[in-house]
Amino acid sequence: MSALDELRQLRRGGVQVRKRDNRAAFWFLAPWFAGLIFITIGPVLASFGLGFTKYNLIQPPKFIGFDNFARILSDERLHNALGVTFTYVLVSVPLQLACALGVALLLDRGLRGLAFYRSAFYLPSLLGSSVAIAVLWTQVFGTDGLVNRVLSFFGVEGKGWISDPDTALSTLIVLNVWTFGSPMIIFLAGLRQIPAMYYEAAAIDGASKWSQFWRITLPLLSPIVFFNLVLQIIHAFQSFTQAFVVSNGTGGPSDSTMFYTLYLYQQGFSRFDMGYASALAWFLLLIIAAFTAINFWAAKYWVFYDD
Amino acid sequence: MFRGARRRTALTVLLSLTASLLAACGSGSDAGGDLTAEPVTLRFTWWGADDRHKRTQQVIEMFQKKHPNITIKGEFKEWNGYWDSLATTMAANDAPDIMQMDELYIASYAERGALLDLNEAKKHLDTTNFDQKALATGAIDGKQYGLPVGLGMYSIMANTDLLAKYNIPLPDDTKWSWDDLEAIGEQVAKAGGGQVFGVQSPGINDTAGLSIRARQQGKALFDKDGKVVLPPEIATQYWTYIADLAKAGIAPPPSVTVEKASAGLNQSATATNTAVFGFWWNTQLTALTVASGAKLKLLRLPGESQGKPGAYYKPSMFWSVSSRSKHPAEAAAFVSFLANDEEAAKILLTERGVPANLKIREAIAGQLKETDKAAKEYLDTVPVSDPPRITPNGASTLDAIQKRHTEDVLFGRATPEAAAASFIKEVQSEVDAAK
Repeated sequence: MSALDELRQLRRGGVQVRKRDNRAAFWFLAPWFAGLIFITIGPVLASFGLGFTKYNLIQPPKFIGFDNFARILSDERLHNALGVTFTYVLVSVPLQLACALGVALLLDRGLRGLAFYRSAFYLPSLLGSSVAIAVLWTQVFGTDGLVNRVLSFFGVEGKGWISDPDTALSTLIVLNVWTFGSPMIIFLAGLRQIPAMYYEAAAIDGASKWSQFWRITLPLLSPIVFFNLVLQIIHAFQSFTQAFVVSNGTGGPSDSTMFYTLYLYQQGFSRFDMGYASALAWFLLLIIAAFTAINFWAAKYWVFYDD
Repeated sequence: MFRGARRRTALTVLLSLTASLLAACGSGSDAGGDLTAEPVTLRFTWWGADDRHKRTQQVIEMFQKKHPNITIKGEFKEWNGYWDSLATTMAANDAPDIMQMDELYIASYAERGALLDLNEAKKHLDTTNFDQKALATGAIDGKQYGLPVGLGMYSIMANTDLLAKYNIPLPDDTKWSWDDLEAIGEQVAKAGGGQVFGVQSPGINDTAGLSIRARQQGKALFDKDGKVVLPPEIATQYWTYIADLAKAGIAPPPSVTVEKASAGLNQSATATNTAVFGFWWNTQLTALTVASGAKLKLLRLPGESQGKPGAYYKPSMFWSVSSRSKHPAEAAAFVSFLANDEEAAKILLTERGVPANLKIREAIAGQLKETDKAAKEYLDTVPVSDPPRITPNGASTLDAIQKRHTEDVLFGRATPEAAAASFIKEVQSEVDAAK
């Protein structure tokens, strides 16, 4: 047997081993694949098909072409819901990231008990989109709630913040800002990556803390800011629980907390119009894709990669 | 041998699976068949508060003792969550066998083919003692999709303790007008000094107030075919009245009204003794008396003597059976038990409304509490006209649409005229969309 043959044999054996490994890997992954196909991809494809039908959940769907998509253009309540959702995303995400960055900078200075503070600030992120917190929120911002108690201490007369259409959305924005924990953790990790020598050199040259922040920290952190921005915008567009709980599922008062997702839900499950709800879901996908594309395009002008 | 036993088990399982599949296919047809002796599990769902859950559970146990092979699994929820979960379980082909159904939704479910025509199960379901008019409220095109449980009437509850405290005499409800309610409400609000209001804002919980306003003037929300025929002037008048009450401080400030409405019955102005007059269904008297600890008196709605009487009997709820139930005969037998068994009735009493079954209504008369007696007496004595058309298919969001328009008016986001026009247009388009 020549050396070449031996090599071939070995290789073939290797391939066999690899094949067997692959097969094992496949079986280990199978439960996940099953979930992906039956719980995610299947329904996603089905909803695309349903978007072109009239489907009331009980009788079989009827094909109606682009009617559902045409309705998106003329549905005034939907346009209001879009306004509410855009306001929520465009106000709460920048505020949330600013808070996250601010707290991350404070924690990065090497506080004693850092681990404790980090967990304490992270906690709201874990709870933020839960039903319990939304219920708590209705108590905190109610007529006899915590906020008004504090205000009355200063002699200011409060009101029912959640039950007034002028302020209901603001309370949800505050709730989202409060859950700045997860971007904060990512910022903290990013800050640790910036080499200390840059700051040392700048300090020797007499740069103030302020200009160090603008000229060193922020440019080097910009990829992280970008990452958080993309993630949080997508996340905010999908917010549902808070508005659902706070408004008892109505999106009220006066549709002032009618998030896009809540409107979609109502179309499907209160009006039994699953065809329109499916069309709305795909339209939301387009909106989020557009926002993400704009983000990536704009990133060319402000995100700085240090390699 | 061991292996043989195993194979036999497998065969039995296979056979019984096939049998149950076959049974599932023929589900509609055996509603009139005999009750099975095999063990059967039925799912039964209702909405309500704690008191209802306890009473219903007791009745379920009574039924199970009589039919040891039938197990009833109760599933209960709050009103809001109830309809969400019913819609999803229906879509998943996993609907409960027996459902508590509401007037708002019955046409929407029946016309989509989700409910069994109870006439098919006549053999197991006795309706001989029912008020025929009441029975008709659960029928669409001659098919009995729901068996009415109890009857209720829209009414005003007056807190007589507070009236006595302020030295204001109880109005004569056989004569009073809407203006009288506003006037006496103003008296109360003045005496209450910002703590107690005259009238709990109408137009939040229920569309019955609007419907009755229209009926007093000889009109209605819907015509026979389910078309919206409410004249815009009447809707405008309705929302102007609501806006005026809030503006004059007769009703609580709008944000308080909205907050209390979403907090449920126990937080309402009537239950917390912060408004003297409130719009409620007469059968809620017991619950509100318990919650408020005050003396409440049922009054007729204003305007009943000026025009035509707008009051009517509304079925508080129905028993319905899923058209996809695998055991429609047994489900019907259980519904029959709920509706006809005197022992069961003595536990349920009037918690779901004054019974629509006349024999049962008399059988429990002796057992009623003071407040239940008052609710029954109101139903027996106040003059009514024919009930309005059942809420048409597609309009099950009627109350929610009405509430949103009331909010728009209360917070100054729409004039009463604009709200009236938009309400009529939206309800009509909902009905059209369901066709």
